Amino acid sequence: MTMSGDVQQRVETYLGRLQRRLRGVKDEQVREIVEELRSHIMDKVAASGEVTPAGVDAALAALGSPEELASQYITDNLLARAEVSRSPVQILKSLFRWASLSVAGFFVLLGSIVGYFFGVVLMLVAVAKLFHPRTAGLWTYPDSTGDLALSFRLGFVSAPVGGKDVLGWWIIPIGWLAGCGLVMLTTYIAIWFVRQYRKSLVLP
Amino acid sequence: MERADARHPERGDKWEVQLRKGCLELAILAALWDGKLYGLEILRRLESDSDLIVSEGTVYPLLSRLKALGLVKSEWVESDAGHPRKYYALTPAGKQRVREMAGMWTRFSLSMSRLLAPLAKEK
Repeated sequence: MTMSGDVQQRVETYLGRLQRRLRGVKDEQVREIVEELRSHIMDKVAASGEVTPAGVDAALAALGSPEELASQYITDNLLARAEVSRSPVQILKSLFRWASLSVAGFFVLLGSIVGYFFGVVLMLVAVAKLFHPRTAGLWTYPDSTGDLALSFRLGFVSAPVGGKDVLGWWIIPIGWLAGCGLVMLTTYIAIWFVRQYRKSLVLP
Repeated sequence: MERADARHPERGDKWEVQLRKGCLELAILAALWDGKLYGLEILRRLESDSDLIVSEGTVYPLLSRLKALGLVKSEWVESDAGHPRKYYALTPAGKQRVREMAGMWTRFSLSMSRLLAPLAKEK
């Protein structure tokens, strides 16, 4: 089937907008998606008999806006991958993509970064205690205004003046358990949010 | 409620939307049971064999997800229409999955029918 220039232009504009929105998807996959939809549009237009701009517009409208379509691809991708892997790295990658799509995604990303950060800090302190028994750990000490400050220390610098090592050796089991727990909790919460978001997407 | 539905007749009520959405994955996998189909064929199969109202923009991303999950595989085939078409077929894992889903569906719909039987009598 051949298409006139004007009609072809409409299809390419649509696919171009879609392609630009498929940020973060692998090049090869983007090509597949665009080719498949082009093939679909041509079949739809051909089935309607005459190739008219109105016919093309109807075929494109049936697919929804390129933005909506792209976000379904991206989120579907992201959820499938996050669900299969459950690795914090994959989750953060997926959340970065989601954050670029919506405000909700941005806040979930922010929360997850905080969760992972503290989880990793707890684990690091637990490990550091083995190498710096006198200086690493969870310390409390009076800060410049006299209030009590709380600080996780890896022990590379000397212990704070007037400070107290709250947990002592207990930081090793507690740090590990709390750190692993926090990383796992963050992962589950992030997946839960992604799943809720996906459910809220416009489906039939 | 009546008014809201009248404004968006294609949407139906929320429960029905969720119900359709939940069935779509099974419907697509089942449509592929007899052999490979391309996207538009799948859409037409769903339209003709079921009253699932499926938006086209939903089926393609879903197919891509089913592929990522390893339930379907795809291949490009040249056609008489002058452009290649992307055909989908069930993988062994997809066949296994659709069998399981069909079993669950049958058990579920049987028990729902038993529950709903009194309603039918009253009419």
